[in-house]
Amino acid sequence: MAVLEFRRAGLTGRLQPLDLTIRLGETTVLLGRSGAGKSSLIGLCNGSLLPDEGSVLWQGHDLNRCRPAQRRQIGTLWQDLRLVEELTVLQNINTGALGRHSLLWGLRNLLQPLEPELGDVLLHQVGLSNGLRDQRVSGLSGGERQRVALARLLRQQPMLTLADEPLSALDPRLANDVLNLLLDQSSCVISLHRPDLMHRFQRVLGLRQGELVLDAAPSAITEATLAWLYSEG
Amino acid sequence: MALQRRLKPAPVLVALAPALVVLPLGIVLLRDLHGGGVEQIGRFWLAALQPSLDPTLLKHQLAELQITALTALLAWSLSSLAGLLLGVLSSTTICSTLTGRRWPAVVLRRCLAPLRSIHELIWGLLLLQLFGLNGWVAVLAIVLPYSALLARVLADQLDQQELPALIALRCAGVPAVINLFTSLMPPVAAALRDHIGHRLDCALRSALLLGIFGLGGLGTELMLSLQSLRFRELWSGLWLMALLLALMNLVIRRLSARHGLLLLTLALPLVTLLWSHRLNHDLSLPRWIQGAPWPPWAQLRDGLTQAWVETPWLELVGRTLLITVLASGVAIGLPPLLRLIAPDDGPGRMLKAGWLLMRLLPPPLTALLLMLASKPTLAVAALALGLHHSGVMGLVLEDGLERVDGRHQQAMVALGAPRRSAWLFGVLTPASRRYLAYAAYRSDVILRDTAVVGLVGGAGLGWQLMEALSSFHWPQVGWLILVYAVLTLLGELASEQLQERA
Repeated sequence: MAVLEFRRAGLTGRLQPLDLTIRLGETTVLLGRSGAGKSSLIGLCNGSLLPDEGSVLWQGHDLNRCRPAQRRQIGTLWQDLRLVEELTVLQNINTGALGRHSLLWGLRNLLQPLEPELGDVLLHQVGLSNGLRDQRVSGLSGGERQRVALARLLRQQPMLTLADEPLSALDPRLANDVLNLLLDQSSCVISLHRPDLMHRFQRVLGLRQGELVLDAAPSAITEATLAWLYSEG
Repeated sequence: MALQRRLKPAPVLVALAPALVVLPLGIVLLRDLHGGGVEQIGRFWLAALQPSLDPTLLKHQLAELQITALTALLAWSLSSLAGLLLGVLSSTTICSTLTGRRWPAVVLRRCLAPLRSIHELIWGLLLLQLFGLNGWVAVLAIVLPYSALLARVLADQLDQQELPALIALRCAGVPAVINLFTSLMPPVAAALRDHIGHRLDCALRSALLLGIFGLGGLGTELMLSLQSLRFRELWSGLWLMALLLALMNLVIRRLSARHGLLLLTLALPLVTLLWSHRLNHDLSLPRWIQGAPWPPWAQLRDGLTQAWVETPWLELVGRTLLITVLASGVAIGLPPLLRLIAPDDGPGRMLKAGWLLMRLLPPPLTALLLMLASKPTLAVAALALGLHHSGVMGLVLEDGLERVDGRHQQAMVALGAPRRSAWLFGVLTPASRRYLAYAAYRSDVILRDTAVVGLVGGAGLGWQLMEALSSFHWPQVGWLILVYAVLTLLGELASEQLQERA
């Protein structure tokens, strides 16, 4: 079942118009050199960027006209994390649930972080101690912040998970844990700089100079194809 | 161009140079000085050490102090609530997130500018003419400019925020209102709490100032004491005021830690109304004083034209700007100069006590005090205003100096620099950029405050405004307020640019 469709959607100077369908239950990795257009494609997928031409549809509806209730079905692990620095770990995790609750719930979360038990479960899931629960995220290390952002994503329970370079700042063991958690989500599109991990996905999309040049199963991709994808010029 | 390139003074020199204005001011004051007055000023400072402890007087002053506190607290609470609401509404980020348009916020921001550009004292005198003597006059005189000021601070803070968290939550389907509360409000909360806390201190000073001009409370008592040269009584009141300011600062610091400040602002209107009942302070609804009927348009137009033509604008504006420049020079230049003369910690602590005293004395009282020994001149007005604000700047400087890493000074001493040079290069230089950024903002406040000393010192637009108000010359009052508002807004613009450069 198609959840996200690109219909000749493009961004002038960054991403050439492309047709693409992301299906439910499918895990997809996005490969390409820096500046190839991976972040732009993720931006179009979550609606933070608007296509200059064509359209992006979420479950058949124009993504940019979708109501918040529909948009909360797409979750993103941002490259720069985008946590609210002044809030605590638990308050940040709870922001993942704001779309499902009332304004009053959100205000109460600002006064006193809500549902600490659920927060503890998520912290455990992402490998963080629940002692961090009431700390401000501004005081955490890079790896800890990354996992708080992941916990927020898990709290959101999205239908489609997007992640932009989620492993770049992590040590190998932690990177493996984070990737496992992301792949446990029902559907995901993850941009990576690690072609060696592509066999863990069902589908590989390759971008080169803003153009989608590869869309295949990992088993169909040769070393030569990867070398060309990462070559200059 | 070559000359411009060569003349690029270090910030530390820019901080010290304004003190040069002390020379011409001193010369004018010495020229106009008379011996009897100097003796009175000596008596005034001696009285600071021997305030009157007469129980009847203290009881009376305490009652008046309560009226000042009540006025300030009520005004602070109402202006904080109104300012928060107006600030949210005039933030372009919030407006565009909620409605997709920026212009309603921009229009509201423009409408609020005149409210904050007019000094609370001018608001007080105007409202007094309209409603007569009523407790609400002083409260509203503070509420009007303070809410507009807080609104601007909040809107600026909100609009300066980075938006990644806001975008992230929007993409995650979080509804707009709760998204704004979650991603925008927490980053501005700390600065906002600081500003609101600081505003209570300002509200207390404003309430005292309004009292000096006859709007009731301790200020009125202080003015009467000064006019009858009862300095010991005057100091009893001033020390009580100092105690109240210290107490309020303590309470604010305690409450700022959590959500106490918000609860206090919400609870205060009711508490103060009950308190006013106990004090027999009139806080009944103010009624419009029925004056002469509104004149026909032609008569009004002629009156306005005549008032514009007969007012010597160039001279008045020029004098107001001159007071601002001279007072800013004293306020900005004096603290680093005195600190350079006495760079050690011991004299530094004494200076700090002096700055606290200067800040405590309202500028009109200082002006009247100086006039005991001198003639009412522009120099007196500038010095009175400058000394009051040097108290504020002195404390800002001390705060900045405490943050400087001591290793710079050690390095200078190790290089063999003399004591004062080591302090100048190792301590004042690193602190001067931040000091100058605040000084730019303070000059803007000084321009607004020229209204206050102008009324006393007989100079500039403030003096003319007092004259026009006393003679019910409404067309001229209207023009003067307009010109004051334009000047203040221009000053605000200039100080913003200076702050960006600093």
